[in-house]
Amino acid sequence: MTILPFPSFLDDVKEKGFKKAVFEGIDDSVERLTAGLNVQDLREAFRGEAASRRPNPRLTPHADGFWLHMRPSYFNRDVTGMYPTFRLGWLSSYFVFFETITGILLMLWYTPSPEIAYGDMLTILSNVPLGQLMRDMHRLGAEFMVAVVAMHMMRTWITGSYKKPRQFTWFTGLLLLVITGFLSFSGYLLPWDQLSLWAVTIGASMAEATPVVGEQVNLLLRGAPELGANGLLRFYLLHVLALPALLFVFFGVHYYKVVIHGHSLPPQKENIGEDTAKRVPLDKRVYFIPDMLTYEMMWLGATTFIITVLCIWFYHAPLENHADPQVTPLGTTAPWYFLWIQGALKLGDKFFWGVAFPTIALGGLALLPYLDVTPSRRYAHRRFMLTLACLLISVSTILSYMGLAKFAVQTSAETEIVHELTFEPAHSKVGIGRTIPFDQMIVGAYTTAQLHYPDEMSVSDAIAAINAEVAANGQYEQMITELKDQHVGANQLPLRFRAIPAAEAPTLMRVMEEFAHHLEAEPKELPNVWGALVITDNQAGLKRLDWVVSWDSVLIEAGHVQLDDNGDPILIYSDQVDAEGNPIPARRIYSDHLFIHEASAYFD
Amino acid sequence: MNILFIRSIEGRILAGITMFVGMMILVGWVAINEEARMQAFVQQHTGRSIERGAELFASLCSECHGEEGYGAGDRAPGLNNPHLFGYDPVGIQTAAVTNANRALVRLNKDMASLLEEMTDTENPPSEERQNEIVAAIAAVEERIEEQNLAIDAAVAERISILETLNTAVENDLYPLWDTVVDIEQTGDNELEVFFNSNGTRLAQVGWGGDLHGYIVTTLIHGRPGSARVYPNGTGMAAWSQTAGGPLRQDQIEDLAAYILNWDKGEAWTMEDFIAVAQYGKPLADGSLPSEPPPPPAGDNVAGILLRWELEEIVGSAVSGELLYDQEFGCTDCHRDGASAPDTIGTATRIRNERLTLPQFSGYTIEQYIIESITRPGDYVVDGYSSGLMPVNFGARMTDQQLADIVAYLLTQ
Repeated sequence: MTILPFPSFLDDVKEKGFKKAVFEGIDDSVERLTAGLNVQDLREAFRGEAASRRPNPRLTPHADGFWLHMRPSYFNRDVTGMYPTFRLGWLSSYFVFFETITGILLMLWYTPSPEIAYGDMLTILSNVPLGQLMRDMHRLGAEFMVAVVAMHMMRTWITGSYKKPRQFTWFTGLLLLVITGFLSFSGYLLPWDQLSLWAVTIGASMAEATPVVGEQVNLLLRGAPELGANGLLRFYLLHVLALPALLFVFFGVHYYKVVIHGHSLPPQKENIGEDTAKRVPLDKRVYFIPDMLTYEMMWLGATTFIITVLCIWFYHAPLENHADPQVTPLGTTAPWYFLWIQGALKLGDKFFWGVAFPTIALGGLALLPYLDVTPSRRYAHRRFMLTLACLLISVSTILSYMGLAKFAVQTSAETEIVHELTFEPAHSKVGIGRTIPFDQMIVGAYTTAQLHYPDEMSVSDAIAAINAEVAANGQYEQMITELKDQHVGANQLPLRFRAIPAAEAPTLMRVMEEFAHHLEAEPKELPNVWGALVITDNQAGLKRLDWVVSWDSVLIEAGHVQLDDNGDPILIYSDQVDAEGNPIPARRIYSDHLFIHEASAYFD
Repeated sequence: MNILFIRSIEGRILAGITMFVGMMILVGWVAINEEARMQAFVQQHTGRSIERGAELFASLCSECHGEEGYGAGDRAPGLNNPHLFGYDPVGIQTAAVTNANRALVRLNKDMASLLEEMTDTENPPSEERQNEIVAAIAAVEERIEEQNLAIDAAVAERISILETLNTAVENDLYPLWDTVVDIEQTGDNELEVFFNSNGTRLAQVGWGGDLHGYIVTTLIHGRPGSARVYPNGTGMAAWSQTAGGPLRQDQIEDLAAYILNWDKGEAWTMEDFIAVAQYGKPLADGSLPSEPPPPPAGDNVAGILLRWELEEIVGSAVSGELLYDQEFGCTDCHRDGASAPDTIGTATRIRNERLTLPQFSGYTIEQYIIESITRPGDYVVDGYSSGLMPVNFGARMTDQQLADIVAYLLTQ
């Protein structure tokens, strides 16, 4: 015997022999770890056999274990298929954990300070193995999570699952939707690039319209009138601390309610006014162990696999230039899930559409189970609510579309066109002007006017004619003055237009065609227009591309071109006259430029 | 869709394991390629940093340092500049002479010992050895001849470089020297003495760190005293936000990356050297001008107004426009209303919008403009950021210049 107060493994070996003692020891440990299932039980469960001992050991983990006591021990077969849940609730929970894990990994490399944050992003991309993948996954997961949670809500609406006794479950779900939106929104700011700064500036400024408290709330949120060091720190703390804490609390409440009330059955499976979710007949029971467990492990693998594939080949989290409060990018929008508010804001009053309308909408949603108290969940009996659901989906889609920059925002055509050709990479898109391969950026001045000359005329004749024309009417001189103003080196200024070298530089040719095509599309705002691209050498491996638009100026009021009775734009004339004494339209010129370095690889 | 819900348990286990293994393989594959991806990213990012630097340089620096970095002789030095990047043409030839001389010393030593062995009477070398020594002496003589030729070539090259420089001096490319100096073969002339201790910019200023550090530091803090060497420049301002300027640290780094991209390494030539405005014009005896410059206006608005009245200072809109557009570069920012209020409509806006604000009750329009120029931080128009406009204009302009600019703005 031993002096220890409990029998030792050695005693076991003496008593039963080595092999038996080891096997029993393992069996015992497995039973402790699984809170009730020994090796034989697990073996049976995962072979799809019935449990060989009574009472059923597969229920013990639900009674005795910590993790599984939160999960029901069996489900109704009617809710384990695609319909009616579409696994949206499960997916929402999946993303909560997925985002937590990827988020914690990213936190290791992140400092919430305007001086450092953007550099940290570059470090994650340039010096952290798998850093880019983690960032892409976290970002894509966040976008998915918002979408999945919103779809989960619409599904609950459509199947009428918010009805008694699940009114409060619906309410906590709505809170989770709002928290998810704000989680995603607060994370938007953290990379501290132009995209995040301006999307959040626009989003946060919506709150400003609230009477009395709007300004204070905004000040609290940003820590200063402008987003800066304090604002970034506060958004960071919201993102990693306050909002996740709230999310986990309400996630607990929400799921507890789901388990207490059971998953609501497809409407046609129960009698009207009844809720039989908790009374599952024996032949309909699908046990968590082993069926639901293997389902969930499979989905876990499948979902993560899909996200990995997407992040390797199809999606990269955008990172624009360093945030700059002085430079407002063209076409800034709020994140897509707040676009509906931005769209609504274009309808009129900032307070009504920016604050009152979303509040009423969310308030209406929160009260939905208490307003719709009809007992039936059958689709045929709920035509009004289903119509309302469709209406909600349509209205939010339309409002989101209206929130896009291209809807009802006045930007002059020339700015828009040049921006379209030159914008920096964002959301896997880049202005086509940046995609010209470096060796195709052949130094010279090229004009879109060349493309409008008839085919039977040789290119060199056409260029000669154009050069003669723009030299005579002073438009070339005007362009050179503009280029000088934009600090093009005096030695670099081109003397005349050259033919576009279509053979050596096919991409350059395509860009010029695109340029011409855009300009042609605006005959009213840009009459007699020509565009030019002036390529100059700047440094070794660095070219400068100046985009010039030259056109007859027209009368524009409140963003609209003024037309005369014939439908032609009204031109503005200069005080000069031509040889026949006719007034000459004032010529306007616009230019913007970009530099392209050989290694920037926009063209890959 | 229900086919996704594999009904057999072994099917689910198999599918799940396949997915997990597939995911691990994918992540492993990504991990193997990470090194190359990260390197590519660094390269790409350096390229884009240079692009942003080019943009900043064109809009902020090219006015004084030249669009192509050749500088403006009387405003600021060129930065596309071999001297900055450590190319020292005179030094290279001097070093060549020194090296050849050292080699000569070694060769002479060899020669002496060979002769000593040959003439040794106590232990006369064998006949075989004598032949060897004779051959060795011939070889050493040949090499001495080579070194002498190298010295001649380097000296000739140095003279030609100094002559080239002298021509540049003649053409006033080097305002540092007022007179052309005599170039003698001894090499002891003013130009060479200068180059011996000022071969490169870093040596000239006695900088202990590397070129990147020198450029970044100058960008951050500006350069006190450059206004003395460049009487027509405004002096190198402090550009970094940490030193009161407008640029963030990452923009400073972008600019430095752009400037460093001018480096040609070994490929710099005398032509590059001559193409650049190298030095400013120091005053003849290196002292301050005898006539002290008029004192700056300062930032005491009431005091300024009072002085104008007493000294009967009247502004001229014409010279104001020149000062506004060029000397002080106000239009660099005040141009389209994007980063600062547009110049056009200044007076109208002040009269109709600003002066109606309660905090400006009792202000005259001149008073508002003077305050805005000399104390830009006191009030920032809604929609624009504070801290963007330099605060030192009051210290940089005289009363007369300020009055001219005010007169010009009143016409806008």
